[in-house]
Amino acid sequence: MTFLSPMTGLLFAGIAIPLLLLLYFLKLRRQERRVSSTFLWKKAVQDLQVNAPFQKLRRNLLLFLQLLLLAAVLLGLAEPVANFSRTPEKRIVVMIDRSASMKTREADGRSRLEHAQDAAVDFVRDLPDHSSAMVLSFGAVPTVVCTFTDDKRRLERLIRGIEPTDEPSLIGEALPLAIAYSTNLVDIPGVGGSSGAGSSVPEAAMQGAADIEFFSDGRIADADRQYVTRGNLRFYRVGATADNVGITAFDVRRDFERPGIISVFVQVENFGAQPVKTDVGISLDGKPLPGPGSIREVQLGPAARDKGASPGGSEGEEPAGTVAEALPPAQNVIFEFAHEAGGMIQVEVHRDDAMKVDNFAQAPIDPPRQVRILGVSDRASMRVFIEKAMRAFEIQDYRLMGTEEYDNAPDGDIAQGGRSAYDLVILDGHDTDRLAPGNYLFFGGVPKVEGVSLGDLVEGEPIIFGREDHPLMRNVAYEGIFISKWRKLELPEHAVSLLEGSDSVLMAALTDPGHRYVIGSFDLLESNWPIKEAFPIFLQNAIGYLASGGLIETKRMIRPGDTISATVPAEATTATITRPDGGIDERPARPGTILSYARTKDAGVYRVAFDDPAQTSETYAANLLDANESRIAPNERFTVGSENVEAVRAETRVNEPLWPWAAGMALVLLIVEWWIYNRRVMI
Amino acid sequence: MADIAPTTLPPRPQAPLLDADFLARLEQLEIISRKIHAARNKGERQSRRKGESAEFADYRNYVSGDDIRHIDWNIYARLDRLFLKLFLEEEELNVSFLLDVSGSMDSGEPQKARYAKRVAAALAYIGLCNYDRVNLYAYAESVVASRNGLRSRRNLPQLLKFLEDAPLGGGSNFVAAARQFALRHTQKGVCVVISDLFDKHGFQQGLPFLLGRNLDVYVLQVLSPQEMEPELAGDLKLVDVEDEDVAEVTISKPLLAKYKANLQAYCESIRDYCNQRGISYLLTATTHPFEQLVLTYLRARGLVR
Repeated sequence: MTFLSPMTGLLFAGIAIPLLLLLYFLKLRRQERRVSSTFLWKKAVQDLQVNAPFQKLRRNLLLFLQLLLLAAVLLGLAEPVANFSRTPEKRIVVMIDRSASMKTREADGRSRLEHAQDAAVDFVRDLPDHSSAMVLSFGAVPTVVCTFTDDKRRLERLIRGIEPTDEPSLIGEALPLAIAYSTNLVDIPGVGGSSGAGSSVPEAAMQGAADIEFFSDGRIADADRQYVTRGNLRFYRVGATADNVGITAFDVRRDFERPGIISVFVQVENFGAQPVKTDVGISLDGKPLPGPGSIREVQLGPAARDKGASPGGSEGEEPAGTVAEALPPAQNVIFEFAHEAGGMIQVEVHRDDAMKVDNFAQAPIDPPRQVRILGVSDRASMRVFIEKAMRAFEIQDYRLMGTEEYDNAPDGDIAQGGRSAYDLVILDGHDTDRLAPGNYLFFGGVPKVEGVSLGDLVEGEPIIFGREDHPLMRNVAYEGIFISKWRKLELPEHAVSLLEGSDSVLMAALTDPGHRYVIGSFDLLESNWPIKEAFPIFLQNAIGYLASGGLIETKRMIRPGDTISATVPAEATTATITRPDGGIDERPARPGTILSYARTKDAGVYRVAFDDPAQTSETYAANLLDANESRIAPNERFTVGSENVEAVRAETRVNEPLWPWAAGMALVLLIVEWWIYNRRVMI
Repeated sequence: MADIAPTTLPPRPQAPLLDADFLARLEQLEIISRKIHAARNKGERQSRRKGESAEFADYRNYVSGDDIRHIDWNIYARLDRLFLKLFLEEEELNVSFLLDVSGSMDSGEPQKARYAKRVAAALAYIGLCNYDRVNLYAYAESVVASRNGLRSRRNLPQLLKFLEDAPLGGGSNFVAAARQFALRHTQKGVCVVISDLFDKHGFQQGLPFLLGRNLDVYVLQVLSPQEMEPELAGDLKLVDVEDEDVAEVTISKPLLAKYKANLQAYCESIRDYCNQRGISYLLTATTHPFEQLVLTYLRARGLVR
């Protein structure tokens, strides 16, 4: 038991107890009566006292009762609380998950985040005096809500102020930040609030790492890639609901051969324990597409039992072995329709479940136009290869030029409106820094950007690894490709390798703001790739992946928490971003640069409008598309590094105030005292 | 400050101890003694002893030395034998009163002392009317006043004056008073003790002094209604009017019940003690009409006839 206001109780005790004793000594003034004899009265009194138990005690029973009553009242004033949980350490980092799955509505109608906030607030209230805590919320990115402070009311207020997001749960940044705070006690001015008055930071800094109290449903995508270096991680599980159907994959394409046809790929997955039959509908600019195909019925089997899921996630008895259960939990739905204009496509799962955000997916589409491709090579044979490929793919709008011509071409030839004039630029054996925002495919050369360079020469090695799951490498049989030599690629960390030798990368994809590069560090003509079937397949993938920007701006489909990168058109000075919740942000813009906007915590449509004469605007759609988040059954445990983190009882952590009991006890004592006084058994 | 009850009652108009009508009714009564007494003086009371009164009792044979004045000559003439005429002895009766005038008797409404004096006056007047020798002793810690040898109704004023003037106050010690009485008063007769018997020294130890003198003892216990049914409440400091002894009590139902039970047990113990020793005991409350007490109850008890 702890006291919320011990000083109040002590103060009143210091005043009231001496006062009561004084009053007790003063209060009993008996009336004097003269009687003929007292011996019969004395005898009566003695008889009563002889028959009464605990005479010594009873002599002062009223006083004792009054003292007990006073003690009960003082106890109530000290605001005792029952703290049935463990005694926490003195410094605590409270991490609160605010990812999309924390928006899940539980059976009581409140979201998981609200439950987590309650549990965290109770936890903070339970902290012993002079303990300090900091609060960190996280989705895809962490936010320091409050640095170390012992001001419990401030902590409670800031915890209550945490807002949910539609971001995925990632602790890759949050956990190191928490550990850094707990060990070094970093103070970031202006983030959440600096450590307030009364903070015990200096002492805390001397005491080693704080413990991390983790309030979440345990659905952490990257937990197994993290590890806790200092302190302990305790996981307080919140939530119980598991029933959810969500869109886990979504793609919109215009076939570059038939640009008027739009294909929409939707993957719908059931995460509940029961088979589900539901409808998936598609609409364009808010109106359902005409025709019967705009709504499809899907039947989904129960989700595979997740060994880490909590018992509450099973939701009922074991499913019987029916046909429905034999169905896979995920189904693909493909919508295909002709649409020559732009607009916003929305796919919706018509089902009322605990998680709403994954029932929708949106994608902005532009009107179709021909793909424009530029080939840059000084070698005739390479030009032939490129030209044959363009013809094979029926691409009418392509151009070939030499490397010198490319470097010396006027800006207007290769760039328009701050972007590359071509949807794809294929460069053969040419390193260049003339890279207007756009898409580039390098063979035997590298873009002159930071972090990219060619290293040692590698000769006679086979290709050991190809990233088959990447769109560029889909159906590319790299096993039959032999490349006689290549240069080892030195790349930034965020580059994705596509082909690797034993200890070197020879092909990689790199995405920078406004730019997408695919870099091959080998000469195509020194390989058998051009004469293999894999080459046209790769080229088709490359045109689809890179050049389809002219057809569907897939880069305008983002995840909540991602950064929007928009090229600022000429003469624009201000960008106005309209968020899904209707909020508007204004950002200064400089023509020709990339505008970055990261306040994308919610799923929905973001519209970026510039104030240039052409009133350029671009629409972005943020979709969850995260099976890990949609699988809302809370985890009983998850793995951080090599350690299993088991849930501790978040729901049972209650800070039960005891003052009503103290007040009730005082009332009972008052009644007993009244009864004794009226019975007059106490002489 | 708490209220303090007045220590003395305000002066109240004193009714005469005996009124004329009642006196007339008393004159028809006489005090009875259940014992044969050898009085020093001849009285008007017929004794069971043979003596020299005018009332014939019996005959007996003459023996040498008998007073020849009592020989029945008519019998001698007829039978030629000497017979002596025996006459009933007539003697006086000593009637003594031990009247409690301690402080405790100065309480109650009606006042116990007044009631006791009236009873004593009535009984003494009966004695005076019958030419008994009336002795009055007022006692508190000891005998504080006495008046002996009152005889005939002409002494009534003295009797009443003595009773009226008897001082009230002080502690109560019946043992000491009885001892003094026994030393001073050696004659047999009737002794009437009138008291509330609230004696912390022990009442019973005094009675043997009276019984030792072969007195016909009557004990009349006088209690006030306030003692028999106390009307007290609250936290009280009870002060004994005799010795200022203090008892702090919080009046409660159980306490009152216990007090009454104790009072009853106390009275019963006295009654039992008296019964075992041939002493007549009577308990009366001051609210009880004393005329009725004298004319009815004491008559029933055999004290008066």
